[in-house]
Amino acid sequence: MSRISAHTGAAARLAEPSPVGVLADRYFRYLIVWPAILVLLLIGLFPLVYSAIVSFQKINRRVEDTSFHGLLNYGRLVGDDRFWESLLHTGIFTAIALPLELVLGFLLAKLMLDRLPGRQVFIALLLLPAVISPIVAGAMWRLMFDNIFGPINQVLGWIAGGPVNILWTINDNPVVVYSAILVCEIWQWTPFMFLILLAALANVDRSQLEAAELDGASYWQTLSKVILPAIKPVVIVALTIRGLDLVRLFDIVWALTRGGPGTMTETVSVYAYIRGFERFDVSFTAALAFVVIVLLSLIVMAMLKRLEIAR
Amino acid sequence: MSPPWKARPWWRERGAGRIWARLAAALVVTLLFLFPVYWLFATAFKTPEEVFASPPVWYPSDINFETFWVLVRDGDVDAVWNSLVTAGVSTVIAMFLGTIAAYSLARFRTGGDNLAIWIISQRMIPPIAIVFPVFLLFAIIGWVDTYIGLIALYTAFNLPYVIWMMRGYIEDVPLELEESALVDGLTRWQTLLKVVFPMVRTGLFATTVFTFIFAWNEFIFALVLTRTDVLTFPVQVTHFFGQQQTFWAKIGAMSILGTLPVFFTVAMAQRFLVRGISMGAIKG
Amino acid sequence: MALGRITTPLVALAAIGWAGTGDALAQSAADRAVEAAQQYAGTTLTITWEAGLQSLDPLNFSGPKWEELTGIEVKVVEMPITELFTKTLAEHRAGTGAYDLLNVVPAWMPDLVYAGVLEPLDAYVDRYGYRDELQDIAPTYRDNQMTFDGQIYGLPDDGDVFLLYYRTDLFGDADNQAEFKDRHGYDLAPPDTWAQFADISEFFTERMGEGGYGSALIHSPGLIHYLFEERFRLAGGQFFDADSMDATINGDIGVDVLSDMVAQLDNMPPGAAAWGPIEVLNSWLAGDLAMMIWWPPPGRWSAGYGTDTEALSWLPESTVAGKVGYASTPGARPQLAAGFALSVAANSDNKEAAYLFAQWMNSKEISLQRVMLPFALRDPFRTSHFESEEYRALWPAAGEYLDALKVGSETGLLDLSIIDTFSYEESLTRAITTSLAGGDVRSALDQSAEEWNEITDEIGVDDQRDAYAIWASKPNAYPN
Repeated sequence: MSRISAHTGAAARLAEPSPVGVLADRYFRYLIVWPAILVLLLIGLFPLVYSAIVSFQKINRRVEDTSFHGLLNYGRLVGDDRFWESLLHTGIFTAIALPLELVLGFLLAKLMLDRLPGRQVFIALLLLPAVISPIVAGAMWRLMFDNIFGPINQVLGWIAGGPVNILWTINDNPVVVYSAILVCEIWQWTPFMFLILLAALANVDRSQLEAAELDGASYWQTLSKVILPAIKPVVIVALTIRGLDLVRLFDIVWALTRGGPGTMTETVSVYAYIRGFERFDVSFTAALAFVVIVLLSLIVMAMLKRLEIAR
Repeated sequence: MSPPWKARPWWRERGAGRIWARLAAALVVTLLFLFPVYWLFATAFKTPEEVFASPPVWYPSDINFETFWVLVRDGDVDAVWNSLVTAGVSTVIAMFLGTIAAYSLARFRTGGDNLAIWIISQRMIPPIAIVFPVFLLFAIIGWVDTYIGLIALYTAFNLPYVIWMMRGYIEDVPLELEESALVDGLTRWQTLLKVVFPMVRTGLFATTVFTFIFAWNEFIFALVLTRTDVLTFPVQVTHFFGQQQTFWAKIGAMSILGTLPVFFTVAMAQRFLVRGISMGAIKG
Repeated sequence: MALGRITTPLVALAAIGWAGTGDALAQSAADRAVEAAQQYAGTTLTITWEAGLQSLDPLNFSGPKWEELTGIEVKVVEMPITELFTKTLAEHRAGTGAYDLLNVVPAWMPDLVYAGVLEPLDAYVDRYGYRDELQDIAPTYRDNQMTFDGQIYGLPDDGDVFLLYYRTDLFGDADNQAEFKDRHGYDLAPPDTWAQFADISEFFTERMGEGGYGSALIHSPGLIHYLFEERFRLAGGQFFDADSMDATINGDIGVDVLSDMVAQLDNMPPGAAAWGPIEVLNSWLAGDLAMMIWWPPPGRWSAGYGTDTEALSWLPESTVAGKVGYASTPGARPQLAAGFALSVAANSDNKEAAYLFAQWMNSKEISLQRVMLPFALRDPFRTSHFESEEYRALWPAAGEYLDALKVGSETGLLDLSIIDTFSYEESLTRAITTSLAGGDVRSALDQSAEEWNEITDEIGVDDQRDAYAIWASKPNAYPN
């Protein structure tokens, strides 16, 4: 992976001896990075090492067997269709939600960037969905999706001109149930993309834009030649973060369907919750976590590498 | 764009039509996004019959604030305070530590790709999978049900996000300014605080907002790591959902109480963002 | 919270009661507990409790009262019922000793016993002379919530049982009765069988017109398995082959029962397939249903008992007060459906005091006060509760209500309670929700049975056979 910067040369230059001197530099670059790493190690390392050990043991609801059990849990996991299906479901959610959130967020950011009266209020209001506690949001959407007590079917009924009886949270048609979950997910997390893109767009070098304008570039040319390249680093990071967070998609699914009907909408986090939290199958869940981390690392590295080659 | 001293209202300007169109679009989109929020907030005032009416009731028949008073009296609002403390303090720490680390990564390529990947891999861990190890660790060092426990955890939890985001924003800042600052005799720290931070303030703002929101909304760690003393907002709210009861009015009222501080903070802090926007505004 | 010295008139009554029993020989179990606990004055007991209405009991009534009597402070850790088990086990494994007294759902008791979380209580029961009063607890609750493998691990503290609620105005209407008899050849009355339930539900869905339905049942994940377990056993089903421990839920009995559960959706409000207790209750209170099956509390609420209190202000106003009939579920073998026992945590530092608090709360006199609290979700569970003149006078039909509960307390079916019951229930739940959504019933149950066998293999067939035998040998595990 790496560098998402266009200033490779410049960065290298600054890392070279600088006016303050080599020693000061070396000291400084580590001084500022160590506190963060220390916190990550202190809080993150023990659970990770502990999980690694536990994933080779047999600790669950009933027994606390700390002897070495080899690949028992990993074997179980690999042979567990439900785990792979949950990964697939997670992938589907991510593949649909991520681009939609990006595009919606970009359009909203564009709208707010131009001259707009009351912009401050609009921006603050558009962030509200993200501030609602996900558990509450899920429960509230469940109420809204209810066939009898909820306004969604009512509004659809007005549009359709007759009663609409769609069962959003229990239905043998996956399209319906997935749509319901995706609507909530996109509603709650588009503000994230929106704000990050707004900040990135606001930082675009104004002189370049003016230059493009003077050159008589069309709007689309400006967008593709100046704006998009400029915000690309931030967009990639935002997509990575949001993508990783989507893999942890849990609250909304749990509140709306609990992964059901059956396992139709079960995401990997829902499955981990059932196995690890409710069933207290600690060793199995530790193994699951490691497989997920390895898979995600591979995906992220491959993605970043591709992006770099494409550059 | 007219200079400010002309003080001509925007609707008199040339191109007011486009502004009207944008305003209309913004209104429609905002209303769509806010409808569920409205629906939730309205439950704070609805009677139980209105929450579960068929066909649904769109607005409460009576506005009274009794539920809010009950929440205050019973001490449920403490959870809002607990959340403000844990999310607020951890955000400040994570933003500071994360941004300076991001600067090191962006400018000196400290640790190369491996360090960056290792950092982001911290965010790939499903929280559910490590919540018990964390609980064990905290039980040993006595951090269960304490502010410091949650603050430390949320700091660690948000650092990868802050580092990666801020690295992206910092890389966008031209190097020349820092170079000339160093030549002018500023120390590294001064350069960082006085030159770099202001340059990335829109990024800082955007990152801070969501660092805070992530900590604010975090549920599973807060659930396991608290008992009674530092119950956070998302955990407290689950107490209103029971097998044989759902306190919708309290859920709605708590959501209003919990949302307002965040909303006003964001609205106020937007000076940073808005100045950034006007700097980079483009004509569409 | 505003806590005066005396919170409710009921507390005052209870206080007068104690003042009158000074004689050591005539001491009640409650008095003995108080007297023995006084030496622990100044300590703090931490107790887990389901959040919400449930925990108002220790927060507003029993906790403050106990502190007043013994000087022992009570700290309540509230959490949703779904988190009770996991948090209890996690604290135990970490050895924190954070909890002294626990609320335990019977289905988890074997797991908690195997994990060493629960303190055996037999010695305490003898030491403080509580055995006699335990005999007053209705037999099914004792079976369901008290023992594992012959040892006492909990004091049964909640009379949870499913109850059929029906509308007396609709069932008593002469036109309805004539029309029903005409169509089905038997009298319109609360159903004795599930076939009758289907007839009546269909009948009223048609008769009540738009917005009215024959019934609604609780279908949400986490609870729906109770209804299946009840009906499955009533129809003659067995969960396992007792020798091989092969799952036997996917035979014709299981398929028939689940198919009928799906078919019943036709006579329920559209969308009821996703409904939980709250939606069902709201629909019932709004007068849209002719029948529903729920736990005991709506029996009190529908009659308006306590609904003017602030604690119940979240409840929609009942439009059916005075029109509510109580009956046992079809077949009169209602599922006990959860409930709570009070257990002492094995690694508590205050086991003695914790037990004494439990004995005091659970004793005849105090438990009667507790199940009569208007906001209580603890339901009557002692024979003396069902017969209490005081309780029977609370509202006009209270006697009828207690009688229906008493039937359940004698004939109710125990919740499945073996090793890792949760995993079996979770698998079964997915089969049911798949079916309710329109999936194939037989294949869903086949898959679930396969999963049950895998779970059993993982646990160890022998261990699970033992645990199952212990459970199945209890009188009300199966109907016969």
